[in-house]
Amino acid sequence: MKFSMLPRVFAQLFKKPWTNKFPAKYQPNNTTKYLADVQAGKAKINPPIATPPGFRGKIQYDKEKCIGCKLCIKVCPTDAIEYKPEEKKIKIYLARCAFCSQCIDVCPVKCLSMSDEFLLAGTDPYEKDLIVE
Amino acid sequence: MSKKLSPEEIVKYFKDEFKTKIKSVDIRKKTAGLKKHESVNIWMKIDKSIFKNFIKYLCDLQYPHLSVVSGNDLGKTVELIYHFTLGYGTRFNEIVLNLSLELPKSKLEIETICDYIPGALVTEREKQEMLGVKIIGIPDDRRLFLPDDFPKGIYPWRRDETGPDKMYKNLHEVKK
Amino acid sequence: MKQKTTTKTTYHVPIGPIHPALKEPVYFEFEIDGERIVDVDVKLGHVHRGIEWASRKRNPIQILYLAERVCGICSYCHPTAFTLAVEDIAGIEVPERAEYLRVIQGELERICSHTLWAGVAAHEIGFDTVLFLTWEIRERAMDLTEYLTGNRVTKAIMTMGGIRRDITKDMIPTVTKHLNYLKDNFEKLRSVFLDDKTVKMRSQNVGILTKEDALKLCAVGPTARASGVKKDVRVDTSYFAYGDLDIDYITPDILTGEVNGDVYDRILVRLLEVKQSIDLIEQCLDKMPSGAIISEPNTPKLLAQLKKVTGDGIGRHEAPRGEVIHYVKLTGEESPYTWKIRAPTYNNILPWIPMLKGEQIADIPIVAASTDPCMSCTNRVAIIDDMNKYELTNEELHNLSIKKTRGLKK
Repeated sequence: MKFSMLPRVFAQLFKKPWTNKFPAKYQPNNTTKYLADVQAGKAKINPPIATPPGFRGKIQYDKEKCIGCKLCIKVCPTDAIEYKPEEKKIKIYLARCAFCSQCIDVCPVKCLSMSDEFLLAGTDPYEKDLIVE
Repeated sequence: MSKKLSPEEIVKYFKDEFKTKIKSVDIRKKTAGLKKHESVNIWMKIDKSIFKNFIKYLCDLQYPHLSVVSGNDLGKTVELIYHFTLGYGTRFNEIVLNLSLELPKSKLEIETICDYIPGALVTEREKQEMLGVKIIGIPDDRRLFLPDDFPKGIYPWRRDETGPDKMYKNLHEVKK
Repeated sequence: MKQKTTTKTTYHVPIGPIHPALKEPVYFEFEIDGERIVDVDVKLGHVHRGIEWASRKRNPIQILYLAERVCGICSYCHPTAFTLAVEDIAGIEVPERAEYLRVIQGELERICSHTLWAGVAAHEIGFDTVLFLTWEIRERAMDLTEYLTGNRVTKAIMTMGGIRRDITKDMIPTVTKHLNYLKDNFEKLRSVFLDDKTVKMRSQNVGILTKEDALKLCAVGPTARASGVKKDVRVDTSYFAYGDLDIDYITPDILTGEVNGDVYDRILVRLLEVKQSIDLIEQCLDKMPSGAIISEPNTPKLLAQLKKVTGDGIGRHEAPRGEVIHYVKLTGEESPYTWKIRAPTYNNILPWIPMLKGEQIADIPIVAASTDPCMSCTNRVAIIDDMNKYELTNEELHNLSIKKTRGLKK
C-alpha cells in the first residue's frame, strides 16, 4: 500500500494524545513569578507523572544511624562522598552523584535510602539543596 | 564454513608445524546455564619470528574473525595480544584464540597482517599511535584516534617515560 | 578562437566531525564526481575521553559505572562484557537465576535500541510520521526498563557474580502486560517498514556490502548478518542462559528468501531481531529457576577477593550493534593493570568504504545510519569548489535526502 500511514494519521485525530501534559498549559511570561504563585497556592500546575517503586532519586541520609565506617566512600564511583573526621559522619555532594545506589547497598546499618525526588536542578554545585549531610 | 574442530586439534595443528616456537598453551573451558554447555578460550604465547607464518597457517585452517588487538606495557617489553575467533556460523562451535607476542622495547616492530585480513587496518593503526609499535608494511600509517597536533613520541598506553604523565590535568580535584 | 580544454576533476567533500546522519562525531572525506561518490576516507577520534585511563585509579566496582557511561544506548553491554572478563579471571560462579535475569535485561535493551534506530532511519528518509510511531512504541519499553531497574537509561543493574535486582512474582503481571503491548504493535511496525513503497524505493539496492567484503573486513552485528554472514555471539558461544534457549541466526533469507546486503536487508534484520528478543524474554520468564541472584552479596568481601587474583581474561557479548569485547588484566592491586574496550562500531567503520562508493550524496545519511553507528549528531558539509567555497548546513543535507524521496515518488 503506497500511503500506509495515512489511515493511522486520521485515526490519531480522534484519539487522546499519547504525550504527558506539560506543567502549565501555556508558557508563563515570568517563570520565577509563576513558580512563586504556585507555592502560594494562587496557580495550579499539572503534577509530574508518578515514578515506579524502586526509582533511584535523591539520597536520604539518617544521621543518627551512621557509624562512620567509610564503606560508602570506598564504592562511590564519582568521589561524591566526603568524610568528616571530627564528627565521624559523611557529607554527600549531589552535584557529583551518579545515582547508582551502590552506597545504599553497601551500608551495613542501612542509614542511606533513595527517595523519588528527581527535580534537582540548580545553578551552584555547592548550594544548600544539593548537599546532604 | 566450519567443521567442528576441537581445541586440542587446533593446538596440535599448530604445534606440529611450529614446535618449539610456541612458548605456552592454556586451554580454558567454562560452562553456563542450566544445560551446562561449554565455551572454550585458547591462550597461546608465541615467538615473534614465526608471526607472519602463523597467520598464514591460521587463514589456511579457517578464515578467522579478528576482534581486536590489545596491548600491555610490561616494563622491558611490550606485549601485543591478537584476539581471533574461529568456527562461527554453527551453534556452540566458536573457539576464541588469543595469541600473545612480546616485543623488546629496543626493537618495537612487527609485520602487518592486512594482506591476509584487511579488516585489521583500524586496530593496527591504533597500536602504532598508542604504544609506539612500528607496523611494517601497513597500507595507511596516519594517526587514527589521537589528534594530529598531539606531540610525537608520547604514547598514551605506556607506563615509562614516554607515557602521557605530563599531559593530563587533575580536573577531578576541586575545592569541596 | 581560443581552444578550451576542460579536464574533469573530482571535488573533495568533507563531512563531519559532527553530522546529521551520525549519532557521534566522525570525519568523512568524500571524493565526488558530479553526484556520485568515487572514494571515501574516514578519520576518527573526536570523542576520545580517556575512559581506559580513568580506570587506573578505580576499583572494579567503581569501574562498572564508568563502563556504563561509555555509551548511552548500549549502557548495559559494556558493564556486561567487563563483568564477564573479571569473572573469567577470578573464576566466580554465577547462580542460574541470575543468568536468566541477565538475558532478560540484555534483550530488553536490544528492543529499545532497535526501535530507536528504526525511528532514526525513518527520519533520514524523511518519513517523520513513522519516527513518532516507532518512538511511541519504544516508550513502553522504556517504562518497563524504569520499572525493572529504577532508571530509563543508566540501568546500574550488573555486578560481579550476579545481578542487583530481582524480578519477583508480583512484578510479572506488569512485565507481561508491557510485553503483550509490544507484541501487538510489532505487526504495525513491520507493515510500515517492509511493505511501504517509499521505504523500498529508497533502500533497496543502496549501500550494498557483499558477503566477501563483510568477511574480510571483519564486520559484526546486523551489518554482517544482513550480508549473509552468520555471526552472533549469542548463538556461537554459550554464555548467560543463551545455551538453554531456542535461538538462531537472523539473516534476510528467513523472510524474503534472498540476500542482497543492502539497506533494506539491514532494516529487515533489525526488525526480525526485535521479534526474536520478545520471544526470548518470554522463554526466560517461563524457564527461570529459583534461587539466589548473586554469588557474593557482601561487596567489601568481593573487592577483597578480586584484589588477590592475577591473570587476564576476555568478555564478549552481543550488543545491539554487534560483538563487544573487553580485555582485562589484573595484577593483585586495587585497580586493573590494563582494560581494553572495543565497541562494535569500530569494526563496522571499514565496511563504510565499499558501501558508499558509487552512491549519490543524498544517500549518505541513510547508508551511514543503516549500520547503526553508535555515535551522535550535528551538521555542516563544506563543498570546496575551485574558486568558491560554500557550506551546506544539516537542514540542507537533510532536505536533499527528502527531495530525493519526493522525486522518486513521482
